[in-house]
Amino acid sequence: MADRVILTIGTKKGVFVADAAKPRRNFALRGPFGPGIPVYSTLIDTRGAPRLYASSCNPFFGMKVLRSTNMGKSFEETKSAPAFPKDDGRVLANIWALEPGGGKKELWCGVEPASLFRSGDGGDSWEMVPGISNHEHARKWQPGNGGLCMHTIIRDGNRVHLGISTGGHYLSEDGGATFRASNQGVGAGFAPDPYPEFGQCVHKIARHKDAPGRLYMQNHGGWADWTGPGGPRPDIGVLRSDDHGKTWRSIAKGLPSDFGFPIVVHPHNADTVYVVPLEPSTRSCPGSAPAVWRSENGGNSWSRLARGFPKKQSYFTILRDAMDVDRLKAPALYFGTTTGQLWIGREGGEKWDCLFDSLPPIHNVKVAVV
Amino acid sequence: MSAPTITLHVLGALRTYCAGAAQLSISAHTVRAALEDLERSQGDLYRNICDETGMVRRHLNVFVNSDNVRDLDGVDTRLAPGDVLTILPAVSGG
Repeated sequence: MADRVILTIGTKKGVFVADAAKPRRNFALRGPFGPGIPVYSTLIDTRGAPRLYASSCNPFFGMKVLRSTNMGKSFEETKSAPAFPKDDGRVLANIWALEPGGGKKELWCGVEPASLFRSGDGGDSWEMVPGISNHEHARKWQPGNGGLCMHTIIRDGNRVHLGISTGGHYLSEDGGATFRASNQGVGAGFAPDPYPEFGQCVHKIARHKDAPGRLYMQNHGGWADWTGPGGPRPDIGVLRSDDHGKTWRSIAKGLPSDFGFPIVVHPHNADTVYVVPLEPSTRSCPGSAPAVWRSENGGNSWSRLARGFPKKQSYFTILRDAMDVDRLKAPALYFGTTTGQLWIGREGGEKWDCLFDSLPPIHNVKVAVV
Repeated sequence: MSAPTITLHVLGALRTYCAGAAQLSISAHTVRAALEDLERSQGDLYRNICDETGMVRRHLNVFVNSDNVRDLDGVDTRLAPGDVLTILPAVSGG
């Protein structure tokens, strides 16, 4: 079968799947699967025969993991979903991250309240990862507006990076057995101490496999005007690390706002990174004019990409997992909005078109070429 | 004394977790005992009704006949022969 570009779109009312031939001219949409139930995380697992996964976060009947083995024509529940041990006392509230693990069928799953689970059989059984789930800090983390969520899982050999809102960045260097808070240079605006050991409201972390040690972070910014204890914290929102997340420095200079949710790295150039600056008060783009901002030099400077977007009166939000980029030679970006629009940014974001205009509010967008 | 037999009405959305059954007969003295029976006999259905700590999920209501157990003795509400147990989602919109 010829390669196809496939999108998974997690929404407030189920997961949708869209696909297109490589020119990406016409996307066919199907779904919703798990209709009516919020989906906060999806995964297109391209190890072997492609499998699609989606978290189905039912507020009434609990969490499920959906799996498709036919490219999203249908989904079925896996045999079980992550669950805390009965004597733990915590109750699973949402599933925020699904990522492939080391083994062919290994999956990792970040949940709310912030904890990590691992499956060795493609999602049919799960075990809690105690090194972070029972970390000495775990009962001190506080929920952000979206809940106390573990939303980012990045594996890099024996290193594992986790993003927790609000817990901060945690690093394991022993394959996930033990973790430590690793937030030097990561600011917080909602505490008197501007640089606490942990408790930062990290929004998303991204990595490029060809840049060892390099990480980009979208943190909870928007604190430049703070005049209370600890003083103003300008530019704490967009950060970079070059030492595997041990230390971080701001790369927010030149952006219209350091607040935002997603951060995405170009698939073929580790120096090219994309963010969507938002006004902190409205969670919409400055001046109500949507734009994606791109740096082509690792965050030293930024340029505005807005060709094809409305020029005014547009107030959507793009959530932390609602933007992704495909891996074709001239890659396209994709993002979904809280107003149910799915946009494609062709030629690396140079020209934007709305693919679908009236989906439910979008939480999550993933893309792969399969 | 043998436990009274009651009927559990299964919500349409949950019948896939109990082989399509619309009703289940359970012998139990209390709502708690009925849920424990369900955990043993219908584990998939049970996990939709109770969380991992064993509590009824927070957005579900449990009725014995027409009374919410919240207004009776909670899951310790006693059951009588012929009672009908109904578990429903709390009303929601959006």
